[in-house]
Amino acid sequence: MPLKISLLTKIMTSFIDLLTTLSITLCGPGCCGCCSALRPRYKRLVDNIFPASPQDGLVKSNMEKLTFYSLSSPEKLDRIGEYLFQKASRDIYRRRHGFVIIAMEAMDQLLVACHSQTLNLFVESFLKMVQKLLESTDPQLQILATQSFVRFANIEEDTPSYHRRYDFFVSKFSAMCHSNHSDKDTREKIRLAGIQGLQGVIRKTVSDDLVENIWEAQHMDKIVPSLLYNMQTAEKYETVSCMETDTRDGMEDDPPRLAEACLRELVGRASFGHIRSVLRPVLTHFDRHELWVPNDFAVHTFKIIMFSIQAQYSYSVVESLLRHLDAGAGTRVRAARAAVLSNIVAFAAGDSVGPSVLEIINNLLTNLRASVARDSEKESDEKLYQDALINALGEFADHLPDFQKIDIMMFIVSKIPNQRGKATKADFRLQSILLKSLLKVGTTYKTTELSKAFPAAFLDALLRLSSAGEAGTRALLQRILHTLLDRRGNAPALAVPTVDYAELGLIVEKCSRPDLIFISKHGYAIFSSLYDGLQLESNTTENISAIYTTLALLCVELASEETVCDMLQLILSIQQSALSNPVLSVSQQCALHAVALALAALVPHVLVLPRLADYVAQIIEARREEAPHLLPPLLEDYDLSPSKMPNKLPYLMIDQMALGECLKANGVEARLQPAAPYAGSALAHRHSWVEAGAAQGRDSLADISAGPNTELDSANSSPGVQRHAGAGGESVSLEALRRAAGGPSDAERREAERRRATLNDTFRTAPFDHLLAITQPKYEIKEKLEEIFNSLSEEPLLGAGIGGSPAGKPTPCAKYFPELFLY
Amino acid sequence: MEDYKFLFKVVLVGNAGVGKTCLVRRFTQGLFPPGQGATIGVDFMIKTVEVDGEKVKLQIWDTAGQERFRSITQSYYRSAHALILVYDISCQPTFDCLPDWLREIEEYANNKVLRILVGNKTDREDREIPRHIGEDFAQRHGMYFLETSAKEAENVERLFMEIAVDLMEQAKCKELPKYDGSLGPLNGKTTSVNDSSCCLRS
Repeated sequence: MPLKISLLTKIMTSFIDLLTTLSITLCGPGCCGCCSALRPRYKRLVDNIFPASPQDGLVKSNMEKLTFYSLSSPEKLDRIGEYLFQKASRDIYRRRHGFVIIAMEAMDQLLVACHSQTLNLFVESFLKMVQKLLESTDPQLQILATQSFVRFANIEEDTPSYHRRYDFFVSKFSAMCHSNHSDKDTREKIRLAGIQGLQGVIRKTVSDDLVENIWEAQHMDKIVPSLLYNMQTAEKYETVSCMETDTRDGMEDDPPRLAEACLRELVGRASFGHIRSVLRPVLTHFDRHELWVPNDFAVHTFKIIMFSIQAQYSYSVVESLLRHLDAGAGTRVRAARAAVLSNIVAFAAGDSVGPSVLEIINNLLTNLRASVARDSEKESDEKLYQDALINALGEFADHLPDFQKIDIMMFIVSKIPNQRGKATKADFRLQSILLKSLLKVGTTYKTTELSKAFPAAFLDALLRLSSAGEAGTRALLQRILHTLLDRRGNAPALAVPTVDYAELGLIVEKCSRPDLIFISKHGYAIFSSLYDGLQLESNTTENISAIYTTLALLCVELASEETVCDMLQLILSIQQSALSNPVLSVSQQCALHAVALALAALVPHVLVLPRLADYVAQIIEARREEAPHLLPPLLEDYDLSPSKMPNKLPYLMIDQMALGECLKANGVEARLQPAAPYAGSALAHRHSWVEAGAAQGRDSLADISAGPNTELDSANSSPGVQRHAGAGGESVSLEALRRAAGGPSDAERREAERRRATLNDTFRTAPFDHLLAITQPKYEIKEKLEEIFNSLSEEPLLGAGIGGSPAGKPTPCAKYFPELFLY
Repeated sequence: MEDYKFLFKVVLVGNAGVGKTCLVRRFTQGLFPPGQGATIGVDFMIKTVEVDGEKVKLQIWDTAGQERFRSITQSYYRSAHALILVYDISCQPTFDCLPDWLREIEEYANNKVLRILVGNKTDREDREIPRHIGEDFAQRHGMYFLETSAKEAENVERLFMEIAVDLMEQAKCKELPKYDGSLGPLNGKTTSVNDSSCCLRS
């Protein structure tokens, strides 16, 4: 005892303290009880709970007495707390940890036993006690303190404590989360305790507005990085939508999992105003720790945030990340951020409404544009970034309802720079990037009705772009059309021209009425624009293939007897243009022939037209023997002898009359007949084709007004129609060029006329089948005839005059071969 | 034993490897850890000293010097009463970074914070920064200056004692910057606890 006192006196400097210590030492357990009568009862009760040796643990019976006393006289609670705290402080100082642990245990028990009304009195000393333990360097005490704190945090207090501060706890627990203790086990334990402590602070403060605002930057800057730091040490990141285990008690035994649970809880409790204060430190942490590249952890973290955030705020995460995309970092980091964005953007889509959707889209597009403008020296990285952004756009759109996708597509189209002015290289790049985004969005859209997928303005914008400057851009645009047109997954099968459709397994369904209305309204504009697209000098094989796919899809999607004439007319026009367009190279001409035939073969495949099928099969057979270069597949380069040039093989061409015959034989002539006058002229050149379109437009207008959908008859006033009518004007010069370049010689013409006379006779007399039989080997004549017709149709007045007179008394011949008759 | 009169928060900052942790360990535990690893995030130590017969508790936050922990360490500046900016006298780059550190302090710390510039590792033979250069820099930026050696325990005690004295003077003049620490109300209470126990006993 004297030794003890002398030790104490050395340490203690204050006289008061010395007295207190003395009295406690004297009256402590194991001492004579002479002084105890002098001491207040609560002190005696507290003293009695301590055993003689710390190994014996808390004296249970005496603890019960203390509990009973504090319950019966709660006004003494604060003094009991203070006294316990003093005792424990002293024991910490003397490193008698056994007693400290017992004191803490007693405080825990009292805390739990106390009624919440009286708790306030006790909590002050309880927290002081916890803090004291946390201040010690002993990991064991720190962990003990945390456990007590967590127990406290889980108690629901009903009286707010305005003056209570958690600043120290946040600071200390955060420091513990970063523990660098040399022993691995201890380090894990301290870190775990730190996370548990933070979780406790969050629980204690988050629900009560009156206590400390945990969302303030000074706290979040400590809490969030501490959690993330622990999460990133996990060996692998498994992102699950929700934690299966109940994390309420912090039972997880490894820091990463607990930190994750804690982050989920924090994010889940954040209100709209607080989301940012959580996200800012998250973003800074990733920047500082360079966790964007590789971005596994970033993806993991942001997914967790998206999973746990209150759904209605999820888009604000996207917004924050979007704003952070450019924040002072290299292109690779930007690309990685964008990739993270594309991973999480889908979550936000479901709950985004109205302006926020467009805002996000607009933001993405702005970033894309900035990226194009940046013209980075590291081209490939910038491209990665752009791809990631486009992906994000696609992901986002994918989770939006379909009607919004169309809105978004229209929005994107509106952002595509107009190539009318002088387009710079950057403009082209932007154009192609925006088209890529459009394609991405388009891919997510499931077309049901064509009229819904192509609102007039959207279709118009798309078609306008289809003659855009660069070949690559045009091919991209065709791919957009493919995705939007292809409702039955036929596009892959139709990717390249072919004539063997039987083995492709195309899915063909009957064309619906709304689709028919759509195509009769816009078909002409679409076909016309596609036709224009095929006439461009800069076309590559890819372009031609792409347009073929578009046409083939149209053919499959709109398989109906009403549309078959339009299709065949287009096919003939394509074939004609291949012969007559002087700007096309030989390989382009061959490609066009192949495409025309491929389409011709597709028509009888989707509709039951056996005669047409036979006819096309014959041509295919003939070409296979004589001119395989006029058949698919398309080649980049054709090495042809002059005799094999397409314009030298007129008998291998598709013949318009034969087509009409085939159609009629299969009972579709009813529709063909009224269209026949323009069928002939359409065959010849684009000028007439446009006229035919106009006629067709009028035709469909009548059709529509008869039907229920009268509101659709704004068709003729749609800008697309007018525009293409205008475009027809410039094609006249092209036609003139063609004639100038390679008209048939006079001798040929005379020869043709002679044959024509004979032929005329035969046609007037012979039965149809016979006629067909003798016609087939004689393509040459027909070809010449056609050419003559072409030159004739330059005089529409004449055509109309002659065509008009037999209308009153139609001979069978005139009916089936109007062109012949016309001539 | 909660008998301290004042509690001050001291934060150590400076480049990685200048010896912040060693200074703290030397002061609080009286030892020089030879193979001290890099601090992660923030470390925490406590030490009670006596100034003019009054106990002053120093809460010492030892921050990681590594760049990647900068965001979390910055969040500790704010509630600091004193900031110890440490550089290594045998390493020019750590001195060159001082303006950056000052900028950070300017941005994140209380503007009344007491700032001390410390040139550590005076025991090293290969000094690169002469004493007067450090002094000049400190003077220009209104900082106290001290050269220390955690290894030789040179000036370490003095460093913290001077901080304690200075802060106490400030506190007595009521100039102590208001901080929102958890221990604010605790100080007053500490004394009252002792008073009451004294009364009860007598």
